[in-house]
Amino acid sequence: MTRHRVAIALLFFAAGCEKPLKPGDPVPKLTKEQRDRFARGKVVFDSVFTPETGLGPLFNQDACGECHEDPAGGRGDEVEVHATAFHASPPNPPPAVCDPLAQEGGPVIQLHTTPALKQALGIDQEPFPPSATARAMRTSPVIFGRGLLDLVPDTVILSYADPSDKNHDGVKGRPNRFVDGRIGRFGRKGFVPTLREFNAGAFGAEMSVTNPEQPTEETVGGKPIPAGVDPATDPELSQEALDLTDDFVRFLAPPTPLKAGKDGRHGRDLFSQIGCATCHRPLLRTGDSPVAALKNREFAAYTDLLLHDMGPDLADICVGLATPADFRTEPLLDLRGAEHFLHDGRATSLEQAIELHGGEAAGARDRFKTLSEADRAAVVAFLKSL
Amino acid sequence: MRMTAWTAALVATLLLPLAVSAAAQAAPAYTYQGTVHTLDTTTGTLELITGVGMSLRLVTMTAPPAAAPANLKPGDVVRAECRRTDTGLVADRIVKIEVPAP
Repeated sequence: MTRHRVAIALLFFAAGCEKPLKPGDPVPKLTKEQRDRFARGKVVFDSVFTPETGLGPLFNQDACGECHEDPAGGRGDEVEVHATAFHASPPNPPPAVCDPLAQEGGPVIQLHTTPALKQALGIDQEPFPPSATARAMRTSPVIFGRGLLDLVPDTVILSYADPSDKNHDGVKGRPNRFVDGRIGRFGRKGFVPTLREFNAGAFGAEMSVTNPEQPTEETVGGKPIPAGVDPATDPELSQEALDLTDDFVRFLAPPTPLKAGKDGRHGRDLFSQIGCATCHRPLLRTGDSPVAALKNREFAAYTDLLLHDMGPDLADICVGLATPADFRTEPLLDLRGAEHFLHDGRATSLEQAIELHGGEAAGARDRFKTLSEADRAAVVAFLKSL
Repeated sequence: MRMTAWTAALVATLLLPLAVSAAAQAAPAYTYQGTVHTLDTTTGTLELITGVGMSLRLVTMTAPPAAAPANLKPGDVVRAECRRTDTGLVADRIVKIEVPAP
């Protein structure tokens, strides 16, 4: 048994000794004050916004907890629309340039309007950007364990990158970068550098609730909001409410994997043997943090936080350095609670999700397909324990 | 009472810092770091993509030739030090940020 597999086994054993963490639980060993902030942050997270308290005039949902509700912080059944433009040919010379279409309301296209905006412009949703070269559907991601992912040092992510495939395994990981050049890790295309920014940005992009870190309103397809349709004063969310929400998400624990039976343990070994673990790296370790409960912690992440070409069948939009076919390796957390899989929810079973992997994952997918029926079931049993 | 030249000079000396301070308050400094979206060299207009998370914004500013690197192009990552004027944002200094190749 390799040292790596011993570490995974020990982590699962240790998890079995401690009280199992259920979806929606906070990470263990928070201070009393941090647990209090977690509880108060959940109240903001579940708060329903109205136009008078800052919602809209464009929005996807009226509460964080409306999309991440099953259970708190988990997944929902909502699907939203993103759009960008990928210019791979003249007038832009190579390398290709990705335009997030901020000038046309992108990349997140809000699907609802407040009554006041509907009355002013006669629209039910934000206009789809005319310059878009692709449309992407996005399911609500689970947000468990994001505080841990936030603390994985950039140097660790870069150490996994192999953009020119020097080891000839067919897998080329590379980091995405935000508009300001920093390494990204959050979002299906790994575009956003920090959890803090992902949370503050979500208030803006999903609910058009301005806050001290994103104090300006979304446009309507790139045009200013008509006068009189947004009654709330900016910023519509206080610093304290933003901080509490951020703490709630940051402190949400990854649920403890279920105790793996004989099949699950066999599936876990096969998962590594057929190459899934090359990208879905089982263990990551956090770096330094002022929060002792999150600091220097090894945790089951099943991601390398890098972009990989997943093939033309899954391709949709570009984001940052991510081409339409590039996706960040999805952390495999709370798979047992999922009913739909992949970035747009197109797969209704884990087996189907694996079979839809292409590009750099084609080798692992093909090895999975050549396994015996019993071995494939073992891999799925393992994944369902996560 | 007639103001002597000496008194006028004294008053001017005392008020000058206040005037400079007021001018400074009228043109606060802003720093943006983002990706160049468009650069119109004929009008000196630069559009920069900035934002927080997935909530992106386009910031438009005047970029005098002296403030911007000569080879600036869409897709470049820059840090722009600006001040707000009556006609909008004006960049005083634009520095290209080298982003390692993927």
